[in-house]
Amino acid sequence: MKIFLGYIVLFLSSTLITPLMAQTATTEFSLDNGLKVIVREDHRAPVVVSQLWYKIGSSYETPGSTGLAHALEHMMFKGSSKLGPGESSRILRELGAEENAFTSDDYTAYYQVLARDRLEVALEMEADRLASLTLPEDEFIREIEVIKEERRMRTDDRPSGLAYERFKALAYPASGYHIPTIGWMHDLERMTIADLRDWHDRWYAPNNAILVIVGDVQPDAVKTMVQRHFAKIPARPIPATKQPLEQAEPGQRSITLYLKTQLPSLMMGFNVPSLASSDNPTSVHALRLISALLDGGNSARLPAQLERKQELVAGASAWYNAFSRGDSLFVLSATPNVQKGKTLAEVEAGLWQQLKLLQDTPPTAAELDRVRAQVLAAEVYAQDSITSQAQQIGRLESVGLSWRLQDSDLAALQAVTPADIQAAAQQFFIPTRLTTAYVHPEEARP
Amino acid sequence: MMFLRMLSASLVSAVLVLNAGCSTFDVTQSVQSKPVEQRISSLATLSKQDPLTRTLDIQQWHTSAGTKVLFMAAPELPMFDLRLTFAAGSSKDGNTYGLASLTNAMLNEGTGQLNAGDIASQFEDLGAQFSSGSYRDMAVVTLRSLSDPKLSTPALTLFSDVTAKPSFPASSLARIKNQLLAGFEYQKQNPGKLASLALFEQLYGQHPYAHSSSGTEESVPAIKRQQLLDFHRTYYSAENAQIALVGDLTLDQAKAISEQVSTRLPRGTAAATTAEPLATAASHTHIEFPSEQTHILLAQLSVKRGDADYPALFLGNQILGGGGFGTRLMEEVREKRGLTYGIYSSFSPMQATGPFMINVQTRAQLSEATLQLVQDLLDDYVANGPTEAELADAKRESLGSFPLSAASNSAIVGQLAAIGFYDMPLTWMSDFMQDLQALSVTDVHEAFQRHLNPDQLVIVTAGPKVEQLPLPEPVERSGPAAVERQH
Repeated sequence: MKIFLGYIVLFLSSTLITPLMAQTATTEFSLDNGLKVIVREDHRAPVVVSQLWYKIGSSYETPGSTGLAHALEHMMFKGSSKLGPGESSRILRELGAEENAFTSDDYTAYYQVLARDRLEVALEMEADRLASLTLPEDEFIREIEVIKEERRMRTDDRPSGLAYERFKALAYPASGYHIPTIGWMHDLERMTIADLRDWHDRWYAPNNAILVIVGDVQPDAVKTMVQRHFAKIPARPIPATKQPLEQAEPGQRSITLYLKTQLPSLMMGFNVPSLASSDNPTSVHALRLISALLDGGNSARLPAQLERKQELVAGASAWYNAFSRGDSLFVLSATPNVQKGKTLAEVEAGLWQQLKLLQDTPPTAAELDRVRAQVLAAEVYAQDSITSQAQQIGRLESVGLSWRLQDSDLAALQAVTPADIQAAAQQFFIPTRLTTAYVHPEEARP
Repeated sequence: MMFLRMLSASLVSAVLVLNAGCSTFDVTQSVQSKPVEQRISSLATLSKQDPLTRTLDIQQWHTSAGTKVLFMAAPELPMFDLRLTFAAGSSKDGNTYGLASLTNAMLNEGTGQLNAGDIASQFEDLGAQFSSGSYRDMAVVTLRSLSDPKLSTPALTLFSDVTAKPSFPASSLARIKNQLLAGFEYQKQNPGKLASLALFEQLYGQHPYAHSSSGTEESVPAIKRQQLLDFHRTYYSAENAQIALVGDLTLDQAKAISEQVSTRLPRGTAAATTAEPLATAASHTHIEFPSEQTHILLAQLSVKRGDADYPALFLGNQILGGGGFGTRLMEEVREKRGLTYGIYSSFSPMQATGPFMINVQTRAQLSEATLQLVQDLLDDYVANGPTEAELADAKRESLGSFPLSAASNSAIVGQLAAIGFYDMPLTWMSDFMQDLQALSVTDVHEAFQRHLNPDQLVIVTAGPKVEQLPLPEPVERSGPAAVERQH
């Protein structure tokens, strides 16, 4: 067992933020079957969160079989060797636990938040559904209807959800990231219980999972409990997986949608690497800072320039996931200020103007310092929630990065120079990397 | 739970968050024949003791300006949370719908010589987070800051300026109005939101809770700057404010902060409490909307803050449809019939009587049958009450979840703000837990009978008119649990 004590000591030049220390005691160990366990102590309250992350998500799926990762997540609540359908939820509810699960392109994770003396019950039941999921067909036949309702609610009846699904399908021509996590409706229609049994057999093994526990616990006691319930589950060979990669410059693409919406909107996405797929981490950190310069707070450039000064948009945002398993997207989205008569074309030009500015002029030290001050404070604020702490760890580990990156992250962001930011803007914000979605109200259909 | 959410601002991937599962009741046997404690060994060894709960050492005082303060020191993290609440929600709009909300949204648009951009830059230079919000009863203004005085002192000064001396610049007012108008356009594409707006109009008639806190596309454009100034002077007064403060501060620091923040506020009086609504008659309103699903809302006026029946209603609702999986509604509507992704019921006690509400959405072809099923389930529950086993489970659940309610500074500051605003005792959280544990099946049954009358439901549906299908047959799970449900 290796104890890691991370002392984050930060010196931010020329800002008001002076050295600040945050102390976390984090322990990492692995079982012989390959299950990786990360325990972070937080003794503020007698509660604990347990999250089991599987390195499997919708980007691993194939055409015709979309939605499997998410459907399996639903079926994980339908019984295992020790438990009947739904019984684990009943037990956890009676213990006062919060439980939930989530599926993304890169991972599927299950969690319980509970009073600290109840942790072992959660671990025992989690181990049981890893080792011996029942997957009854009658439960599946009902549950797939629930999943279709979920799709109608999130995607088919929600213009922003529908637009994002279609945008993403176009923006990732090569990698599995074009697959919508909930699955295409026609794939949900033809999914079978056999598909799900196969999915569980292939991907649900201790050597493909990371257990993250944060809260009022002692690492030694946690290790004993984890070994008691997980050590006997044998490791199994996992299919070789390939990192989702894109062509650097797939070519300029666009999609025009007419949806049940009152307001038009625009999305622009540039194909860019992630921290896991890039051989130049500085450019990735530069993109993260660009995202913050554009949309990191109410003083950032999109709200200050486009929303308030030019009154061009009712709202605009920029986001970038640097922590995906493979090549990522840098996305801008905006809704025109129709009360001021602004159009999608004007908004598109306004967003390009902001990108050009980043390419032409390096940001000032003061502006960069403000962004870093927010990042630093946010790191402290995130420690208020044991769930956020566990999620940060699990996300990094499940995409093949180390949770220890957290400790060097601020230094990495600080090392980025204004020239690095300008260079990243010049390299990545070019038409051949760009996908644009134009979303119009149905009434505007020509 | 059960919503699409971004795990962080930088995460592009839409992450599906959901919680599948179901509940049976007192399962001594399941598909397996052994008792659950023999199958889950750690349940057998689980302590029978109630779980530990963090001790909350809450201090309360009034500032020299008369503002009530609730404070808890939490020195573990170098940060603090400050939350001001004012009786300045949309129930104080009068005939100017949206006035309270617009006043609140305009606070950080200007103060002294500073404009919105200056204010945002200054907070963000300090790593401080400012936010505000306005609801039916209350308006809220919050600050989250690092506790290093070099950062917190200027952040608090700016917070105090913004809260006490907003300038409400005319140019910002025009822009914020346009953003609200854009928000109303967004509402028109959301059948659930349209149904909810119609529901409150039906429930509350002429009462100030009837209109949306955001106002309407007719009311907002007419609001004048002078009305904001007047509303602020009247309702953002020290006497109409409460302060909740949690974090890495000494008592002296907390006293100094609350003194600074409250004494700069306008002086005035506590606002009059909101009058009681009139009883509403049963109704069913349908909004035609071209969606795949029909949204169904069922509601009734039910309970206000401080009502002695609230613990019984809360606990009873946990069994009926509160908090996700394992409830009767979720079991019958989702788990047995696959009709929906989620169905919830809730009591929302407010200063004046708030609603009891059930909401569900299902494919349009099954909307009528689903509505009938939900009404039957509610009728049955109000008529017969919960079973002993259901009540015992709900009590154990509330005891077990109690430690989670005070696990973070943000959770605690929210609790303190509610205790302060609704003038509840400092021991409210533990009193409430004790009240829940003392309830009997009869208490819950009688409280439901007193507060709900299924013949007076206000129902709103939003979706397309399509040919209707009958309900699918329920799938029954084997075992004695399923039998126990048939009371």
